Amino acid sequence: MIEFQNLVKIYNSGGKEVHALNNVNLKVNKGEIYGVVGYSGAGKSSLIRCVNYLERPTSGKVIVDGHDLSKLSEKAIRDVKKNIGMVFQHFNLLNSKTVFANVAMPLVLAKTPKDKVIKRVTELLEFVGLADKADVYPDQLSGGQKQRIGIARALATQPSILLCDEATSALDPQTTSSILELLKKINEEYKITILMITHEMSVIRQVCDRVAVMEDGKVIEEGSVFDVFSAPKTKTAQNFVSTVMHDQLPESILNMIKENGTKNVIRIHFIGQSTGKPLLSQLAKKFDIDTNVLFGNITELQGIPYGNIIVELQGPDTEVQRALQYMTTNEISYKEVNTYVS
Amino acid sequence: MLVNSDQIIEALIETIEMVGLSLLFSAILGLPLGILLYATRKGQILENLPLFNVLNVIINIFRSVPFIILLVAIIPITRLIVGSSIGTAAAIVPLVFYAGPYIARLVESSLLEVDHGVLEAAEAMGATPFQTIFRFVLPEALSSLVLNFTIATIGLVGASAMAGTVGGGGIGDLAITYGYQRFDTVTMLITVVILIILVQGLQSLGNLLSKKIRRR
Repeated sequence: MIEFQNLVKIYNSGGKEVHALNNVNLKVNKGEIYGVVGYSGAGKSSLIRCVNYLERPTSGKVIVDGHDLSKLSEKAIRDVKKNIGMVFQHFNLLNSKTVFANVAMPLVLAKTPKDKVIKRVTELLEFVGLADKADVYPDQLSGGQKQRIGIARALATQPSILLCDEATSALDPQTTSSILELLKKINEEYKITILMITHEMSVIRQVCDRVAVMEDGKVIEEGSVFDVFSAPKTKTAQNFVSTVMHDQLPESILNMIKENGTKNVIRIHFIGQSTGKPLLSQLAKKFDIDTNVLFGNITELQGIPYGNIIVELQGPDTEVQRALQYMTTNEISYKEVNTYVS
Repeated sequence: MLVNSDQIIEALIETIEMVGLSLLFSAILGLPLGILLYATRKGQILENLPLFNVLNVIINIFRSVPFIILLVAIIPITRLIVGSSIGTAAAIVPLVFYAGPYIARLVESSLLEVDHGVLEAAEAMGATPFQTIFRFVLPEALSSLVLNFTIATIGLVGASAMAGTVGGGGIGDLAITYGYQRFDTVTMLITVVILIILVQGLQSLGNLLSKKIRRR
C-alpha cells in the first residue's frame, strides 16, 4: 500500500546539511496499522510527510497504492492526496469555520454536490460521536473532540490510507486511549491502512500490528509488535519497550538483593500458551529448590498473553543448575539478571 | 466663526466620499497585491522570488514617500487619470497611490499570521494554491484583515485632510483655509473634534466587526 525505497531526505539549514532520512526502506501492507516510533529528530515526521508529499524526498521512491509519486504531475499528486487522509498533532482545524464546515472542506475542494456533502458529513460526525457539535466552532471543543473532528475530516473523501502524525501526543492518557480505539474502529470497519508516527510506545502497543523503530534517519528495527516488544534487539528499541513493559526490577528490590548477596536471580519470559503453565511450582517439586518471586508482570500484546517474571532460585548450586537445564530443555526462555547493572 | 454648519456638513460629506472611494480603489489594488506578496514569498504556496522582490521594492518605494510629497509628485499621473489636478476626484488618485501599497503590506502581514498548520492541512487535502488562499488563508485571516483595514481607513482620514490642500475639499481643507490661514480658532477646534469622533467611530466599528468575526 505504501512503500519507501531507498528514501533520502536532506535539509539545508543554515548552510549545514541535515540528513533527516537516511536510506529508508519500508513497506506498509494494505489494511494494517503500522506504527513508526522514535525520539524527536529521528526522522519519523519527515517519513510520514513524504507519503503525501508534504515533503519531497531528496532521492528514493515513495510508492502509494502502486503510484510512484515522483513520476506524477502536480495535478495527479493532488488526486492521490484525496486518497490519503491526514490527522495532525495540533489538529489544524480552521477556527473560522464550524465543525460541519471543517469536516466538509475536503469534499468542497473536490467539488462534491451539496446534498452529498451534507449526507457524508452527518454520517462522519455520527461515526466520531460528535453529531451534536456540527454548528459549534472548534475553539469550543476539548482536545479530544478536536481530534475526532480532525479524524472525521481526514475520512471525508473515503481515503484508503490514513496518516497520523503524532495524533495523540497533545492529549491526556484517557483521551489518547479513546482516540486510539476510534482509529482501530476505522481500521476494522473501513479497512483503511493506517500509518502512524509517535514517540509513545504505549500507542504502538495499543493499536499497531507492526512497528518500525527509527533513529538518525534510519529504520533500526522492524517487525510485528509482538516480536519487537517481546525481544527488542537494539538499545533504542529496548529503551522504548521498557517505557511500557515495566520489566525492570524496582530500586528497592534491587538494593535488597545487593545487601543480601542474593544470587541465581533469573528473568523468565512466558509467551502465549506457556503463560498458563505452573512452572514455578513444578521447579520446586522436581528439584530441591525454593522459588522466590521478586517481580512479575503479565500483559497482552496483540491479544497474546506475555509474561515477564523475575525469580530467585534458592538452594544448592547443583540443584539450581539442574533446574535451569530443565527450563532449557523445555524451551522456556530465561535470562540471568545481573543485579549489579540492571 | 467664519463657517456655517452647512459648510461643515458639506466638508464632512466630501471627506467621507474621499475616504470611501479611495478605500475602495486602494483595496482593489492592495488586496490582490498583498495576497501576491504573501503567496510568492519564500517557502509559500506560489513561491516566486523574482516577482516577490519586484513587488516588494515597488511597494517600498511608494511607502517611503511622505504623503504630502506624493500628493504633488504624481500630479502628472493624476492629470492623466482624472484630467485635472484639483478637486475631490483628483485627491483620490494620490490617496490610492498612498493607501494601496499600505494595504498590500497590511494584508500581507495579516495573512502571514495564519497558522502554518492550516496550510499543511490544506496541502494534505490536495487543495490547489487558489483554493488554499480563498478557502483557508483568507477566512482564517478575516478578523485580522478587518482590523488592518480599520487602520488603513483611519490613515486615509488623515491623508484626506492633507489632500484637501490640493483643493480636494473635506474637513482638512476647512481646517487649513479657515482655521489656519484665517485664524478661525473655533472652526479649527470643530474640525479637530469631528476628526476625533470620526476616527473613534471607525476604530470602534472595526473592533466590533473583527470581534464578531472572531466571535470568541
